Amino acid sequence: MVPNSSRWFSWKNLISFRVAMVVFCLVLVAWFGAAFALNQRQIFLPGETSVGHHLFETSCSSCHQAFQPVNNDACMSCHQAELAEDAHGPSKFRDPRWAAELANLDVMTCTTCHSEHVHMFGRGVHLQPDLCMNCHQGLIEGDLASHNGFAPDGCWTGGCHNYHDQRSISTGFLRRNMGEPPMLPVQQLPERTVVLQRAVAPAPDLTQEFLEGRQ
Amino acid sequence: MTGFMAGLLSLLFCLLSGLSWALPAWANGVDQAVVQDATQLWQGSAHALNDINCSSCHQASETQAFVLSPKEESCQSCHQQAVETFHLGKHGIRLREGQSPLTPALGRLPMQAEAQGLQMTCNTCHDAHSVNTVQAAVDSCLGCHSDTHSLNYGNSSHSELFAAASSSPRPGPEAVSCATCHLPRHQVGQGDSATTLVNHNNTYTLLPRDRMVAEVCMNCHGVEFSYNSIFDDDLVEANFDHPPTQKLQTLEMMRALEQRRTGQGS
Repeated sequence: MVPNSSRWFSWKNLISFRVAMVVFCLVLVAWFGAAFALNQRQIFLPGETSVGHHLFETSCSSCHQAFQPVNNDACMSCHQAELAEDAHGPSKFRDPRWAAELANLDVMTCTTCHSEHVHMFGRGVHLQPDLCMNCHQGLIEGDLASHNGFAPDGCWTGGCHNYHDQRSISTGFLRRNMGEPPMLPVQQLPERTVVLQRAVAPAPDLTQEFLEGRQ
Repeated sequence: MTGFMAGLLSLLFCLLSGLSWALPAWANGVDQAVVQDATQLWQGSAHALNDINCSSCHQASETQAFVLSPKEESCQSCHQQAVETFHLGKHGIRLREGQSPLTPALGRLPMQAEAQGLQMTCNTCHDAHSVNTVQAAVDSCLGCHSDTHSLNYGNSSHSELFAAASSSPRPGPEAVSCATCHLPRHQVGQGDSATTLVNHNNTYTLLPRDRMVAEVCMNCHGVEFSYNSIFDDDLVEANFDHPPTQKLQTLEMMRALEQRRTGQGS
């Protein structure tokens, strides 16, 4: 059953499934190769990048190391200041008292709530806005009289609570500051520290170089 | 005819390229008037009065080579905190990640048509010769941003305060500019070494909104006035051109809680 060498090529073969698959793969490899070579990395984006990250969305290595999932260190390299005092941070959840809550939602991993290239519900959160209910459902179901019957998706979308930084929205902060007049008695912004070491400018030390434009 | 013109132009170009030695010196450098203007601006600046001379920025420290257009590394050698925080916000993140500088064309907000290609570096907002941050605090922003909030700044009493207190090279403590809220001054260090610098991370006070209340608004306003203003989308859009009219439920609840507590205490 040796195939006839003069008939190794036929148009029928060309449209066979196997050939089509090979051609498809070759085109795909060439397409991705060209994208890499021409630095057109947009084509690798699996979906729309969030408002916070879209400006550097073609710098894949900013967040991704090869094909591993994004780790917390990548997030922290930029967001350290925002998480300086994290009310739901690792120091809280390393305490075994909160192990049951941690089992509801793995909040020790940033991407549990903050995935990327997917639909966001605001503040870079891709989970449904009622995510607080994973642990705090009791608060709207009788545990806290003032919050009884509140909407399960209103905790942070209503502007009342923050998950991470609660310094300027906590009950304590509001209690300390409530009752102040609209305009405070002293209205002053901090002044930028500027120290001047001389009263008069020195003589400029380059002039000719500018005219000649030596590089 | 077009071919003839193109030929003539290319001939002219070749001649000019070949005869560059015969052209005046400024053809490779800058005009004398430009140097004079820059020197004059520099002489009254905080740079000059701190012995930051031309060579501090225009000469490479190791090779002593002349640098006509210093890059942000030059600024960073003194203004480390400013550049580091700039890199964390949307304005500077592309530079941090090794990409080309941000241009308004890449943004999703409405931007001025003529500014679309402008590259965002330190010099885009700051004049390093005059070191005049009054210009950097409002005019530089409005050179690119053309969204409703930005364009309405001129209608606010904040802008009146800014106009009244911006004759010095720096906006005074009463001036409220774009930078006041979006690039707020913050204290760095403790005790005697504490200095007030500018946080150049333009994204830091945007969300959650209460962060701007604590960092900025409460320098002048009470917390209720601030909350009722900043959580009102229309008022933000109008750039706070009138006092807030909404009464947030969260504040009403706080008042009720406080009354219950004092009631129990007495």
